[in-house]
Amino acid sequence: MITFDHVSKQYPGAEVGAVNDLTIEIPSGEIVIFVGPSGCGKTTSLKMINRLIEPTSGTVAIDGSNTRDANVNQLRRSIGYVIQQVGLFPHQTVAENVATVPRLTGWDHKRIAARVNELLDLVGLPPAQYAKRLPAELSGGERQRVGVARALAIDPNILLMDEPFGAIDPIARVRLQNELLRLQKIVRKTIVFVTHDIDEAVKLGDRVALMSQGGHVEQYSPPAELLARPATPFVSSFLGDARLVRRLALIGLRSIALSPTNGARVPSTNVDASGSLRDALDAVLRSSDGRAQVVDGDRILGVVDADVIRAASV
Amino acid sequence: MGTFRYIVDNWDTLGPQVATHLLIVGISVAVAAVAGLAFGIVSARSERIGTVVLAVTSTLITIPSFALFGLLSIWVGLANPPVIIGLILYALLPVTRNTRAGILAVDPAVVEAARGMGMNRTQVLARVELPLAVPVILAGLRQATVMIVAIATVGATVGANDLGQPILSAIGRSGGTIDAVLAGIIPVALIGILADTVLAGVQRSLSRGRVAVAATA
Repeated sequence: MITFDHVSKQYPGAEVGAVNDLTIEIPSGEIVIFVGPSGCGKTTSLKMINRLIEPTSGTVAIDGSNTRDANVNQLRRSIGYVIQQVGLFPHQTVAENVATVPRLTGWDHKRIAARVNELLDLVGLPPAQYAKRLPAELSGGERQRVGVARALAIDPNILLMDEPFGAIDPIARVRLQNELLRLQKIVRKTIVFVTHDIDEAVKLGDRVALMSQGGHVEQYSPPAELLARPATPFVSSFLGDARLVRRLALIGLRSIALSPTNGARVPSTNVDASGSLRDALDAVLRSSDGRAQVVDGDRILGVVDADVIRAASV
Repeated sequence: MGTFRYIVDNWDTLGPQVATHLLIVGISVAVAAVAGLAFGIVSARSERIGTVVLAVTSTLITIPSFALFGLLSIWVGLANPPVIIGLILYALLPVTRNTRAGILAVDPAVVEAARGMGMNRTQVLARVELPLAVPVILAGLRQATVMIVAIATVGATVGANDLGQPILSAIGRSGGTIDAVLAGIIPVALIGILADTVLAGVQRSLSRGRVAVAATA
């Protein structure tokens, strides 16, 4: 668990603090998103966890111990760090890059080599094909996979990600987001993830901290809650008009009440039960009769239409 | 062919002069490389120190070599010492300037990633900044080497027995001057070209993956 206790950061000469009196708890094993407009202090807050930025006042604690009491380099080695520009070492191969922290920590060669292969497999870059390549020979998406592998190298409990997918094209970004969720199911890290993209926040976060100027937390809640009940006018305006449509993506079809099937009128389109209400809405819109059949393999679970969606979404 | 004959006939004299020339240049380049690297690192760390160091080394390089060697010979005597010291001073600027530029050209995101992974200042320098700056530093060293291989000939005026001697001996004489001058110039040019080629090769082989910085070198 990461705890911010009345944390502020004031830069000398600046009139207002970058972060003012931030108090927030980040539970272990969850993905917590810091989201907000540019300059709201979300990145500053993130960097106060691994002390790339030192707070002016207040304390940041990890599992109860003040980070200020730790050796700063030891602290950073124990926290995975992924940034938007990736920052791979251009003169080192993929394998050497991933081996950075194990080397700093003094692992032996055999253990490092085994770990590097394991990690490259984990992030979907077969070692036989990628280990010896240089960063310049990779695509943007591949580079960030290496960045994630490098951050996970000594299996840290905490992973800090500063707009990691911000510079990646939309198609690769969606793939990386999905892989992060898949990865998280395996590794169960405490992840603090900074983004300015509310869709990304809602998709990835177990909880979302929506911040305004000065690192002020406007609302801190699970994404469905955030979209359903914005706590302040700032939150509503940041979420925009489409917040209920966005929320549809968070509601699984297995969790809602469907209309019973009516033998005489078989809907013209199908939607898989593993999908979300958003997928159902899409199927309904595509259909000729405004209805779609929810199927689980060969089984038909029920029917979804505009009324069902509306009932389930509020 | 006259020059070639002259070189062969006078090899007893020229041979030691080539050796001395190589020795003087070798020592100067080695010392300037180490000192320039240190100055460059310090200059990259502190804007203020950087300004002072670059101003001093830039001024040094404007002093005529003839005058600098003469001045130094007052304190350290004649022959090789004043020449070596003078050449070191000349070679400092290119090495210092390029070391500083090479370090400052490293992508800040790469440095941030390194610090974020828990490298201390020395580790960031040794494992990230210097390796990435190598092509630029070597470009400076190349420039310095080629420059002082030529300037070393002026050392003959303060008594260094190097390849400036055949040139100096010919000045003011009427007969055989061209051959004597060329007997100094040709080996100097060959040494310069050789040093440049070798250092260019090293530079290329060490530029693996450092595409962005290597291109500016």
